[in-house]
Amino acid sequence: MQATILVISLLGMIAVIAIFLRAISHGATASQSGTVSDNIEQKRSRLIWGLLVFGVIVTAGSLWNWPHDAEASSDSISVNVTGGQWFWEMDRETVPAGKPIIFNVLSKDVNHGMGVYTADGTLLFQAQGMPGYVNKVKYIFENTGTFKILCMEFCGLSHHDMNASFKVVANASGEK
Amino acid sequence: MSMTSTAAPSPQTGAVKVAMLISGAVFVLMMLVGVLMRAAQGDLLDLDPALFYQLMTAHGAGMVGTAGLSGAAIMWYFLGRHVALTRWVFHIFLALFLLGVVLILGAIFLGGFGAGWTFLFPLPAISGGAWDLGAAAAFLLGLVSIGVAFLLFYLEAGRAMISAYGGLGNALGWPLAFGGSTENAPPPTIIAAATVTVFNTLGIVVGAAVLVVSLINLYLPEFAVDALLAKNMIFFFGHVFINASIYMAVIAVYEVVPEYTGRPWKSSRIFALAWASTLLFVMAVYPHHLLQDLVMPGWMLIMGQVISYLSGIPLLAVTAFSLIVYLKGSDIRWDLAAGLLVLGVAGWSVGSVPAIMDGMISVNKVMHNTQWVPGHFHIYLLLGEVAMAFGFMAWLVRGDVAQSRFTTLDRLGIWVYIAGAGGFTLMFLISGALSVPRRWAVHMEDWLTQDRIATGFAVLAVLGALIFVLRFVGGLGRSSKA
Ligand code: HEM
Ligand SMILES: [Cu+2]
Repeated sequence: MQATILVISLLGMIAVIAIFLRAISHGATASQSGTVSDNIEQKRSRLIWGLLVFGVIVTAGSLWNWPHDAEASSDSISVNVTGGQWFWEMDRETVPAGKPIIFNVLSKDVNHGMGVYTADGTLLFQAQGMPGYVNKVKYIFENTGTFKILCMEFCGLSHHDMNASFKVVANASGEK
Repeated sequence: MSMTSTAAPSPQTGAVKVAMLISGAVFVLMMLVGVLMRAAQGDLLDLDPALFYQLMTAHGAGMVGTAGLSGAAIMWYFLGRHVALTRWVFHIFLALFLLGVVLILGAIFLGGFGAGWTFLFPLPAISGGAWDLGAAAAFLLGLVSIGVAFLLFYLEAGRAMISAYGGLGNALGWPLAFGGSTENAPPPTIIAAATVTVFNTLGIVVGAAVLVVSLINLYLPEFAVDALLAKNMIFFFGHVFINASIYMAVIAVYEVVPEYTGRPWKSSRIFALAWASTLLFVMAVYPHHLLQDLVMPGWMLIMGQVISYLSGIPLLAVTAFSLIVYLKGSDIRWDLAAGLLVLGVAGWSVGSVPAIMDGMISVNKVMHNTQWVPGHFHIYLLLGEVAMAFGFMAWLVRGDVAQSRFTTLDRLGIWVYIAGAGGFTLMFLISGALSVPRRWAVHMEDWLTQDRIATGFAVLAVLGALIFVLRFVGGLGRSSKA
């Protein structure tokens, strides 16, 4: 996921840089090529319409399945994750693979951010934990193993020390 | 100091030069702080986490404030070409700004305040023992002082534009945008300045409200504001304010680039429409900072994603597009000012790409609050707003365009700056893609390589910036625009 995002972004950025570089190097020869052509405004409106149409497609495609869906279902399992300065508390230490897990993210004091990471350090998803609110996020773990929780919202002096871990197991109930 | 407006418009060069000198010096100083932070993340330097977060707070507040200051000075200077401004207002603006800076520095380095420049409620009040309430109060009061400075600034700018153009709607260019009427159409500077005046005034009022609530909460904890409401207000204010700095700085592009291309930057209908939509977009886009606050109404998050994307259109299809057309159609003679101003628009445009990506909810799930975020905003600040500010500074002390030379040192400065800032921001994006969270004083073993490479690039960026500032200082003595 992240690698794809990086590559798409870099391609987009390189395209913008290339357009500017072309304009700058073109400028030097402009005096021979004469005045700015009349179809500039036509090009501009094509660019605007192109961007709009592209935007509609990407928006529809990226939101078709609501990325934040957290509806409970008959087989879903809930976990409460509470952040505090500077620790995480979870009401269970293991969850089953292959089932929808709903994380209820809470906070005891300030804003925190629950970032769920694989053991080798890839961020899978996250949710803010905020005093007075319960943020719900749903995820289905495909693999078993140990997962980490890091803090994604700056919460003071030991923000970077706020880590915890839990296990995803094959057992359907998620008990050890 | 006179209590009356000068009769005929004329730019307030002296005070603007002072503001730019302060801006340039603070930019370089805060960049050095940035280098310290990046070096500490790379374990090249042993910084106590408490000090790291204090430096992070100083860097964030200092950079955002200085971006605002330099943008405001640019707007004030060029607004002075078109309307009669009351000069002492700019002096009060500078004085209140500096008062705010003193309070903030005191809060951080004497009081140990380190809650970040976003003072996210209720962290200032709940420090876990790192700072006391007095330090938090001084920091918040410092921001209030800077807010009041900007409010005064915009009130005077708004007053002058309204009286010169017969109403706010006219200054915003609405008859042109919505009626196609080119009669008495205001120049680009006025349309841009009026737009920023409206949205940043609203932003600062909301910011002031949440600052006051946070201040009271320090001493009366039972007087608590809803954490989600506070977050909405803070990000509305923060987003609007930092964007205002770029939208003010771009005025220098509209006014100065025509000197090089020989073509005036005109207020066309599409230009006025672009700014009218920007007015709406800048204010409506802020929920893209809250995409992981899952209790937010779904429609607001969708609005955040959609408007993030739409915001790119006026930038790319109007400002960047027009600049490219002007560049292609002319035989421009480059110098430091022209190079940096064009770099500013290019950097801003390039930075919009990773910004728009992060504004997508599904991307944001894995990129929010990773170093992807400082990655994209350092692109459009370091290579955008700040490049434009340095370009304006170079222009201020440049002689006549005909005599202006693009010296070897200037070229070196630009290339070192581009290489340094480009590499530095690219490393942030890569770290973000590798899931490294932002705002961590201590990094894990696996992340150190990018941190160290980034530190090297950052040093280059500071060297480039130092060249620009020294050139400005050297030029102050012999400049023609007195
Ligand atoms: C050589 C130049 C610079 C360096 C080395 C630098 C370095 C840094 C570093 C290391 C961080 C913290 C990253 C993290 O969250 O892990 C940061 C954050 C930040 N920087 Fe810079 N920076 C530079 C220039 C700028 C400029 C020019 C601006 C704005 C005009 C700016 C605005 C900010 C802001 C607003 C933050 C966020 C602070 C926070 O998270 O509370 N920086 N910078
Ligand atoms: Cu935290």
